Amino acid sequence: MSKKETFVGESKTAGKWVGRPLPRLEDARLVQGQGVFADDYKLEGMLYLQLERSPYAHARITRVDVSKAAAAPGVVCTLTGAELPSISHPFPEIGPGAGQKVEDYALAINKVRYQGEPVAAVVAESRHAAEDAAELVEVDYDPLPVVMTPEDALQSDSLLHDEAGTNRMWHDVFEFGEVDKAFQEALHIVHIGRLHFHRFSSTPLENNVVVGQWNIKEKRIQYFSNQQFPAFAAQFLSPALGVRIDQIGMRSIDIGGGFGIKITSYPYMALCALASRKTGGRPVKWTETRTEHMLASAHGNERTFYDTRVALDANGVITAIESRHIDDCGAYPRYEPLGCIIWAQVLPGVNRLKNIRIDFSQVVTNKCPVGPNRGYSRMQHLWFLERVLDICGHALGIPGDVMRLRNYILPEQFPYTTPNGCVYDSGNYPKMLEVAKELVGWDEWKKKQKEAAAEGRMIGLGIGTTLDSGTNNFGQARIVNAYAPYSGQSKAANIKLDIYGELVLSMGSVPQGQGHETTAAQVVADVLGINPEHLNVRPGFDTEQNVYTGHTGTYASQFAVTGLSAIHGAALKLRAEMSRLAAFALKAQEEELEFGVGAQGPQVSVKNTDKAINYWRLANLVNLNNAELPQSFEDITLNCRYVYKAPFEVPDVKRKYGNLTLTYAAQLHAAVLEVNSETFQPKILAYACVDDCGRAINPLIVEGQVHGGTAHGIGGALMEDCRYDSEGNMLTSTFSDYTPITPMNMPDLRYGHVESPSPFSYNGAKGMGEGGGAPLHALSAALQDALYPRGIVVTDSHNTGDSIFQLFERARQGTEAPVVRVERPRGPR
Amino acid sequence: MYPAAFRYYRAATLEEAASILSQAGDEARPLAGGQSLIPLMKLRLVRPALLVDLNSIPGLSSIKSEQGVVRIGALARHAQLADSELSQLIPILHDCAAGIADAQVRSRGTIGGSLAEADPSGDWAPVMLALSAEVRTQNSKQQRTIALGDFLKDAYTTALANGELVREVAVKVPAKNSGGAYIAFKRCASVYASASAAVQLTMADRSTCEQAHIYLGCVGLVPLHATAAEAELRGRELTKERISAAAEAAMEAAAPHSDMRGSAEYKKVLVKHVVKKGLEVSLRRSRGEQVEVSHEYVGRI
Ligand SMILES: Cc1cc2nc3c(=O)[nH]c(=O)nc-3n(C[C@H](O)[C@H](O)[C@H](O)COP(=O)(O)OP(=O)(O)OC[C@H]3O[C@@H](n4cnc5c(N)ncnc54)[C@H](O)[C@@H]3O)c2cc1C
Repeated sequence: MSKKETFVGESKTAGKWVGRPLPRLEDARLVQGQGVFADDYKLEGMLYLQLERSPYAHARITRVDVSKAAAAPGVVCTLTGAELPSISHPFPEIGPGAGQKVEDYALAINKVRYQGEPVAAVVAESRHAAEDAAELVEVDYDPLPVVMTPEDALQSDSLLHDEAGTNRMWHDVFEFGEVDKAFQEALHIVHIGRLHFHRFSSTPLENNVVVGQWNIKEKRIQYFSNQQFPAFAAQFLSPALGVRIDQIGMRSIDIGGGFGIKITSYPYMALCALASRKTGGRPVKWTETRTEHMLASAHGNERTFYDTRVALDANGVITAIESRHIDDCGAYPRYEPLGCIIWAQVLPGVNRLKNIRIDFSQVVTNKCPVGPNRGYSRMQHLWFLERVLDICGHALGIPGDVMRLRNYILPEQFPYTTPNGCVYDSGNYPKMLEVAKELVGWDEWKKKQKEAAAEGRMIGLGIGTTLDSGTNNFGQARIVNAYAPYSGQSKAANIKLDIYGELVLSMGSVPQGQGHETTAAQVVADVLGINPEHLNVRPGFDTEQNVYTGHTGTYASQFAVTGLSAIHGAALKLRAEMSRLAAFALKAQEEELEFGVGAQGPQVSVKNTDKAINYWRLANLVNLNNAELPQSFEDITLNCRYVYKAPFEVPDVKRKYGNLTLTYAAQLHAAVLEVNSETFQPKILAYACVDDCGRAINPLIVEGQVHGGTAHGIGGALMEDCRYDSEGNMLTSTFSDYTPITPMNMPDLRYGHVESPSPFSYNGAKGMGEGGGAPLHALSAALQDALYPRGIVVTDSHNTGDSIFQLFERARQGTEAPVVRVERPRGPR
Repeated sequence: MYPAAFRYYRAATLEEAASILSQAGDEARPLAGGQSLIPLMKLRLVRPALLVDLNSIPGLSSIKSEQGVVRIGALARHAQLADSELSQLIPILHDCAAGIADAQVRSRGTIGGSLAEADPSGDWAPVMLALSAEVRTQNSKQQRTIALGDFLKDAYTTALANGELVREVAVKVPAKNSGGAYIAFKRCASVYASASAAVQLTMADRSTCEQAHIYLGCVGLVPLHATAAEAELRGRELTKERISAAAEAAMEAAAPHSDMRGSAEYKKVLVKHVVKKGLEVSLRRSRGEQVEVSHEYVGRI
């Protein structure tokens, strides 16, 4: 990929290592096949679990017979749904009301609710034997009417969870400002019909893997898996399995891609433990196949936006939005209904919008349960806002770039408090727009677009401005359920000087390509005046060896803030202890000391002298030779744990008001595309991505994350769609059907970086990596720009040659009501 | 996923393979590149009790050109065809071979396996039909030659009898005043096409068409012969309008059904596109122009 780079802005805390584009330290290990991945993990006596899954989307189970499977060669035990209530409990539910009545067990009991739902498990000596035996499981089903759309969910008599009494799991109205007044005073009112954000996933290269062992004598369950939020999964497993949380040991080391999809793998973790217990404590491995992953791991949230009304002033400034949103979470809520509040982290998007009323519901349907997929819940909402902006712009004849400049929060308004109390830390959206337009060649393309239009060609230019809100306040969970036992955000880190002077850092995060080992080493190197390779970073989550809090995991764009703050805090603590020790040993004042690297490696020395003490000797004094130390040094352990706690308060639940995230990284993408007049296939002609994640700890890693997020978004916009037929059969259960994006499909990316340091993090950094789905916004916008002259409004986040062809056909037939209606084109009379 | 248990036999000669297969009957399958067979076995959609591996049979992957006839061994890999000198001579072969799926599939998958599989979306069948290929087969006792049109009976069904194997595929080297092209439109690199067209034109002069062969892939149970489109062109001057008219006529021949590769109506639209482009490129090549084309997909169109 060719690239052109632009950097704007000043560094806030330039260190020797922090801020440098250091190549990733973990890469050597990973590219040499020395990653520690769960499927490579083997234990003595390990068994293999194979699942029998439902072919139906919605059916009553009338019979499950595992007798033939149980008698098959190599089979050690089986599990069926009927057994589960006697050996486990339903997983906790986060939602209030109807949500609390949902019974989610690791296997379906009386009915199945999505195609691919596990119905029975077979555990055998080899994977082969398990697969052969699973074919002998006999299940009879009595199909039920399926619920596939939000409309079905609300209107149908068919309920997924009979106990809940409704398919609507959550509902509330979010109202801020003076919406009715704004509509009365509006010069223009634009009505927009149904908009739809489609269901797609992130299909990590490595599927889910669990190795679980229920050690009966030790009364412990030990997991080795690729769960990406182990501290959270343990909170689901402990009550479901009926064990104390300290009886659950979790290890997740290297992960081959997570993107949030691996947060809700806990039902499979429960099954491995239950199967292990049934075999008397042998380890049980489950490795998901790609088809299982597509059918039954987790998908991204699908959302439909109805009856949108937009109030605007004479300049196209949006003064109010009113709309009804229905989020579709698939068959079981699991991490939901957190998505019902998480979008509100970015309630007005990047706009000064003050008055907003959104009626928000979440429904269950007979599809795979959703999981918090990259850009989770905010991406859907931001796409909606960007669509509103572009549709209004086109309806009123105001170009997309001008619309944005008129609506953006201005650089001088930061920190900016949104109508619902979120505090945007910093940003400069107009600058990002300027950089992106320059990179993509906006003005020239505008000219070319005109010329091309004269020849009947369809070129469109689009902008997507999006936010990657990071470091979430778990207190927002209380807005969806006032009793949710969560708030704040924290991360722990531990750094120690071990017996022989080795510097060892553990942090409990589970990176999946984010380069934590590298950025952590950069931070510590600056604190101690050493080189990054002097530090041993112990990657991964490990209840036994590494530190953690209940928030520990890798999710929600936050490591640069929470993870590095914890590491920085721990390193400062260690430095203070080392400084006291060194002053004693060198008979010097602490102010005279200098941390650095000498002939024998890392050391502390007395400035302008040849007196120095190396790390071995410092560690020796505390760990092995401490009679030399006076009693007053007994508090020094050289083993320093620090917990970073983000500065949050519990939100005001009634008003749905409070600061929901600490930092607001922004992404601005500009795209130029052409719709082929023969195949209707859109082709990207030019693409620029500009990011602002505050201070970049490692610009190389930041750029890599931007490339990945961009690929993911382009895939979602033009290729990837989790499609179901009207009976609930998943049509995209293989990669041949789902067609995930690969480098072969990527356009050249032009990359630019604007730096607005965050005032809320010690290092000026903002979390980033999720990316906020900017390509979906930018490509929908560009497509809209190309097609609006033909009377076509882009209403879906997923567009292919085929779907664009269908839009043309419908426009030609002219049978449908227009999507957009302008109530006061010339303002009030 | 693992396949159901099976036995494996490595054959030393084609005759031996044929003889074992005929004894074993329906239970057995020959194994070539395994790029269609193994995925189906892993999904347990097929469960042969015995696999007879052809990969060690000497000489089965050779590509020879003698007296205007090219003979391609059944075991010739897609990658081998893409890289062969033959592709310079018959560019349509390169268009097809170089764009099939990904490097792994191309370096394992074979032309014999592809034709024997008779997947309605396979790339080789329309190309070979446009070149009027013959399939030469072998059982334990004898050989026979079957015109490819007769060889392909139905979706996934060929004229091969039990114990009969594809030995080679033979095509005539097209005349100098000829040009061909294969255009496949797909959603991404490593999936089967949504629609494809193989075109081979023989020109009477710079712009008058003497003979046209047009076959459509993916839009019927077997590759469809676009005879009406050919009739539009034969003996006529290939103007822009003429080419469009032929592409429209080809659309009529298509009988696609809707699936994840596209709706039926859209696949017809694609047929028009691939035929039109195939004709344009073929015409330019017939005039000696070097034109690079391959499979089209998002990002490569
Ligand atoms: C991800 C992926 C994408 C693909 N995409 C495409 C694509 O876009 N276009 C395309 O054309 N193909 C595609 N393929 C298929 C590929 O081209 C296969 O290689 C080809 O279809 C079969 O050839 P093979 O040598 O692999 O045959 P095998 O899989 O070994 O065999 C296929 C069938 O033919 C039989 N057989 C094999 N050799 C002989 C013989 N000599 N005589 C008689 N019977 C024989 C076998 O018993 C079996 O029934 C794809 C494959 C994969 C895995």
